[in-house]
Amino acid sequence: MAGLTIACVDGDPEARRETRDALVDGGHDVVSCGTVAEAADLVGTGDIDCVVTEYSLPDGTGLDLTGLIRERSPDTSCVLFTDATPDRIDSARHEDVVVEYLPRDMPDARESLLRLVENVVAQRTQVGYPLPPDEDERLAALAQYDRPGLDAAETFDRLTKLARARFGVDVAFVGVVDAHEERFLACAGEDWETISREDSMCTHTILETDVMVVEDVDADPRFADNERLEELDIEAYAGVPLRTPRGATIGAFCLTHSEPRSFSEAEIADLRRFADEAMEQLELRRRLDESGEESDPTISRSPGTDADGPAEPEPAAGPRDDSGGEEP
Amino acid sequence: MSVQRGGYTFEGLPLADVSPGTNLLVTGPALGGIRTLLLRMLLRGDRREGTLFITADTDGPTTLSDYAAVGGDHDPMRVGVVDCTETGVDAVDHNVHAVGSPNDLTGVGIEFSSLYESLYANGAERVRTGVYTLSPFVVYSSVKPVYRFLHTLTGRIRTADGLGVCAIDPDAVETETLSSLAQAFDGRVALRSENGETAIRVEGLADQPEGWQRVEV
Repeated sequence: MAGLTIACVDGDPEARRETRDALVDGGHDVVSCGTVAEAADLVGTGDIDCVVTEYSLPDGTGLDLTGLIRERSPDTSCVLFTDATPDRIDSARHEDVVVEYLPRDMPDARESLLRLVENVVAQRTQVGYPLPPDEDERLAALAQYDRPGLDAAETFDRLTKLARARFGVDVAFVGVVDAHEERFLACAGEDWETISREDSMCTHTILETDVMVVEDVDADPRFADNERLEELDIEAYAGVPLRTPRGATIGAFCLTHSEPRSFSEAEIADLRRFADEAMEQLELRRRLDESGEESDPTISRSPGTDADGPAEPEPAAGPRDDSGGEEP
Repeated sequence: MSVQRGGYTFEGLPLADVSPGTNLLVTGPALGGIRTLLLRMLLRGDRREGTLFITADTDGPTTLSDYAAVGGDHDPMRVGVVDCTETGVDAVDHNVHAVGSPNDLTGVGIEFSSLYESLYANGAERVRTGVYTLSPFVVYSSVKPVYRFLHTLTGRIRTADGLGVCAIDPDAVETETLSSLAQAFDGRVALRSENGETAIRVEGLADQPEGWQRVEV
């Protein structure tokens, strides 16, 4: 894996240069600095894949820096590459930040550092949420539906407004879950644009084969201590995955409410219909874009290609088996 | 025999060889033999293997003593413990490294990485890692650092062609939590104890015995 952008943080210019050179020799872009404050600013730009830091820094520690990173860019990988042995590292003040650790005095330390950095970024081993087993394929599929000109905002605005009225909830939204955040394609009842993936409930919905319902967020240990959900006033949630014809889950059609509530079987069946409709709209636009047509998206559905796999006869992007539900 | 080219073996257990780099979640009741099962799965296949324990329910010396009771040896160059109990203390002669609390997932991760590297530096060609149990980490920490810790642990084991075996009592955590934690693992070994008979069943791994297999633990 080449082409990462790595921040190298060390107060000792000579040690910093040696580490930097090893990472550059591995084919990566490296930005260097010597303090917690400088490094925190670098990470704030959002362009850093991994931070390699010494533990002792002039204005704090590598764990102080990791704490700031977890607030500003939570998925960014952090590696303590240090002379400090574990008994000299004060982790008690930062017991929930979790970093990789590599002693600088081990044989071939810089070669090991290079492998470690590449592995933690490729495997995303410091994300604070569960990952689907097919995450790379899922993201590749999402890219097929996430192109300029495939804007479905107006359609989704209508759908989510209709859903909000149908279910009597505070918010209805269509969201796509990308590598680090969920982006809302439409959101009736609020003006949410993005939420980090570790705070998003849809991060868990995309692991499901069907609907995920959380009747009381505070009673579910996966979400009970999620401050962001509290800020957004989410106390109940129902979401149905948006699944492409080839089976990749790219997002969800969801409802949230500010008080705990349940959802009837008929409501769940209708929510599935909304999700089916949203996915079909995305699929139609992708196919139109692929064929280069600029006509009315409701009149042409050219079979023969799929977003996340080789061409094959058109599988259904349409309704699920949801007999018994009500029409929205 | 060259175990380094083959899978991890489990003598006396109804488990087929497991590929290097595999992480297993072992589930079962705390008093149903799950601890003994985990200790036996961590028995070194030969002297070139290492074993690393992360303990949160029992301290380091007790873990090593129990390991010896199921046939494990204690070569401190190849076997070590990260002791996460609140009463844990360092015991350098026995390669026991105390963290002080299962809440301190950052400290646990650092001690794990340090010990893992040192076992390799001491000549281990590959390492079996066991966590007994995940429950205290899950119960006493918020979920985000638990996911980070698990991804970090399983990622390093996967990359190093190690073996990871993490035990959890399903009754100690919510079903939804267990389900999402299981995403970090390649397969699951379920243990049940009914009418005085204990059995295990492997899920999610190929080429393993099908259905419940009786086991003496």
